[in-house]
This record gives sequence, structure tokens and C-alpha cells, in this order.
Amino acid sequence: MHVEAGTESTPALSGGEADLLARLRSGDEQAFEDLVERHYGAMVAVARTYVSSRAVAEEVVQDAWIGVLRGLDGFEGRSSLRTWIMRIVANTAMRRGGAEARSVPFSSLAAEGEEAALDPERFRGADDAFPGHWRAYPGDWTALPEEALLGRETLAVVTRAIEELPDAQRTVITLRDIHGCDAEEVCAALDIAGPHQRVLLHRARSRVRAALERHFDG
Amino acid sequence: MAESHEHITCREVVELVTEYLDDAMSADEASLFEQHLNFCDGCVWYVDQLRTTIAAAARVREEDLPPEARERLMSAFRDWRRA
Repeated sequence: MHVEAGTESTPALSGGEADLLARLRSGDEQAFEDLVERHYGAMVAVARTYVSSRAVAEEVVQDAWIGVLRGLDGFEGRSSLRTWIMRIVANTAMRRGGAEARSVPFSSLAAEGEEAALDPERFRGADDAFPGHWRAYPGDWTALPEEALLGRETLAVVTRAIEELPDAQRTVITLRDIHGCDAEEVCAALDIAGPHQRVLLHRARSRVRAALERHFDG
Repeated sequence: MAESHEHITCREVVELVTEYLDDAMSADEASLFEQHLNFCDGCVWYVDQLRTTIAAAARVREEDLPPEARERLMSAFRDWRRA
């Protein structure tokens, strides 16, 4: 049977990704170098959650790239290229580290326990006329000067706040907000479900926001 | 009151904001969320604070690709191309 080559064969790929894939398959070195540049950091962050040391994580990423090259011709585009690459890193790392011995445990959602984004004291109580509403509004950061938002001090506050997060939260916010992965890519990378990913991201961002609030509003 | 009594509180907005920013809400939930923002400056500012937080995290520097890793990968690519 003759199958027409076209966009239908790669349903999850954007035009840019389909083009990149074609260049990779044709052996375009620059395309591969760009791909490595773009994904290497996120891949190490992912591998680091499965294996015990940075050095082993880098070996896993090297092996994962070999897996990517091997799979390139057979890649069908059922997910985005990055999701597919993330799954290869996760599988390579699991084979190396053993799925049961992850260095960052991603416990089940139920085991995470409750953690409010903000101190409940910031909201009016049940006996108030407007329960659950702000006692005092949070700060209007749109009024802050640009240098306060973009300055080196602010960047240092954010960097430190992320470093101090629990491992699972730090991994998720690093992948989502520093490396720019989407939710699906992070779920594939960490082998967790969407709601779990979102809870970890929510807690991480809430804590980093609180650090910024202390920095901006004193 | 003529409108629906269904509404969400500021405390709920604060817990739903990540879901909202990820487009992970049903259309009904998103509409309740947006209705709340229409009359609550405090929550508008809070959502803006989260967007500012995300933008600030995006500026945290990624680690550079180590040169020896780049070399090894490029040579693996050349081998693959020849194979």
C-alpha cells in the first residue's frame, strides 16, 4: 500500500520540529548541535533524579543521545521531539539506576501531604462576612521599576529560593521554568502523572514567589 | 441576586493559579476564575506576581554544555551518519 508522506505521519510535531527532524535525518551537523545545546541541561537535571551522582548522570545523558540517534529514523512523531527525548533519558537512567532506587523520590500525590501556597492567616476567617477573601491585598508588582524586577539581586533571590526547594519541587520548577519544558515533557521525563507534576510545580512557584515577596515588600 | 451563586474565593484563586496558567482547567472553572479576577484587584496582583516569578526563573542561567561532552556527542553523530 502506498502511504502518502505528510503531516499526518507526524501528528504531534510542529512545523519547526518536522523541519528539524528532516535535517537531523539527513545528517545535518548544525541541527544536531542545536538540538544538544537545547536539551542537554534539562536531560542532566532529569538523569540526576534517577542516579546517584552528577558524573553518572552525564554518562546516562551520553548514552541517551546514542539512543536518540538510534531511534531517529523510526521516530513517528506521536509526541513532540522533546517528550520523546525525555522518555529516552528516563528509560536509560532507570536501566542504569534501577527504578526502585531513584535518588529523588517522587512519592505519590497522597503522600505529599497538604501545603498551602500562602499562610491561611492572610485570608478572612469563616466567621467573617467575606470568608476566604484577602485581609490585605498582596503587593502590586506591576508598579515596581524594571530594574527591581530584572536586577541581579532579584535573580540571586530566585536562584537561592530554587536551590532551597525540596528535591522533587526543585526538579520540576527547573525543568518547567528554567529549561522551558511543558507539562507533558516533564511528566514523560519524571514518569509522573499530570496532577502530581502540577502540585509540585505549584508548591515550587508558590515558595519562590514568597521569597520574592519578602525581597520586594520587605 | 440574579447571577449564579457559584463563585470562588481569593484563597481558592491562590491554589488554582498554576492550573489556570497551564490551561489545565475546564472551561467552567476557567470562567469562574476569570469572573473572580474581574472584580478582585488583590487576585489580579497575585496572578501577576506568579507571572513575574515565572519570568524571573526563566532568567536563571542554565549550565553550559561541557566542551568534552559536546565533542563526544558530535563524534557520535558523525559515526551514526556514516553507519
